[in-house]
Amino acid sequence: MGEVIVITSGKGGVGKTTTTANIGIGLSGLEKKVMVIDTDLGLRNLDVVMGLENRIVYNIVDVVEGNCRLKQALIKDKRFPELYLLPSAQTRDKSSVSPEQMKKLIDDIREDYDFILLDCPAGIEQGFQNAIAGADRSIIVTTPEVSAIRDADRIIGLLETAGIRKNELIINRLRVDMVKRGDMMSVEDVTEILAIDLLGVIPDDEQVVIATNQGEPVTGEECPAGRAYTDICRRLLGEEVPMEDFMKPDGILERISSLFHRSQGV
Amino acid sequence: MSVSSVFIAKERLKTLLVSDRIQCTPDSVERLTNDLYHTVSKYMEIDQKDLNIEITRNDIHIRYTGEKN
Repeated sequence: MGEVIVITSGKGGVGKTTTTANIGIGLSGLEKKVMVIDTDLGLRNLDVVMGLENRIVYNIVDVVEGNCRLKQALIKDKRFPELYLLPSAQTRDKSSVSPEQMKKLIDDIREDYDFILLDCPAGIEQGFQNAIAGADRSIIVTTPEVSAIRDADRIIGLLETAGIRKNELIINRLRVDMVKRGDMMSVEDVTEILAIDLLGVIPDDEQVVIATNQGEPVTGEECPAGRAYTDICRRLLGEEVPMEDFMKPDGILERISSLFHRSQGV
Repeated sequence: MSVSSVFIAKERLKTLLVSDRIQCTPDSVERLTNDLYHTVSKYMEIDQKDLNIEITRNDIHIRYTGEKN
């Protein structure tokens, strides 16, 4: 029986789609069968981040409306063992799919996958309600900023109200240099305020921008964000992976070199 | 020395989250806290600084930290 995880944030632009793509790819690399679903109707993005935009024929609305079979709409990512994308529709609006339809769609497929990841749209309206309808648990993505944390808190409240009890946090785009000089909230500050379990921390890393430009993942790559996503995937599989201590060494060069040596030792 | 921007961010968030959580203005939070103190003090002798009121997503915790030996 597959696990259904919604990736959500409230605020837009904090990295939900990038996170969905990289976790999906990472889990697939760890030999899990994964389906990623773009639930953002009208603003299709997950396909672009994954570099699969040229292969779309049908989309989630076609499946729900019975214009095609699910198999016809699924895009298999050939670079990875068992990774499938169900794309969103670019030309339809939020009301094209109801929470009940979404729940039924997921119930029909959950037997066939180890993980189903739902990329949730920003906001708390119907798109959000659709995305969480079939989810067992959630990953809340936030950045260490007042507005993103405020929205994350609101989202956690809504998830709890909807009966989703397992909600874990990813702090994205952490800038260690700014944290050190007291100009960015630390991992501890954010987790203390939001009071939910931490799943992982993604350091701000230009490799994410470079990879996204090319429609490629960072998971599995030798860069700070790549390693952080791999750790998150292993935690999702129940492994005890210690949190990276970003604050430990003094200099950034020292930190990078110590990370490099550590990863070589594995 | 000036206050760090993180300190300001955390203070702003604290106020924001409490009023978001109970869906009222920061001003009503202040009044709620005062009313709770007055209600409790009707029945027991307390010092306002010993009464700690914390508003989380699902609960309002009223903690009395008095009676120190």
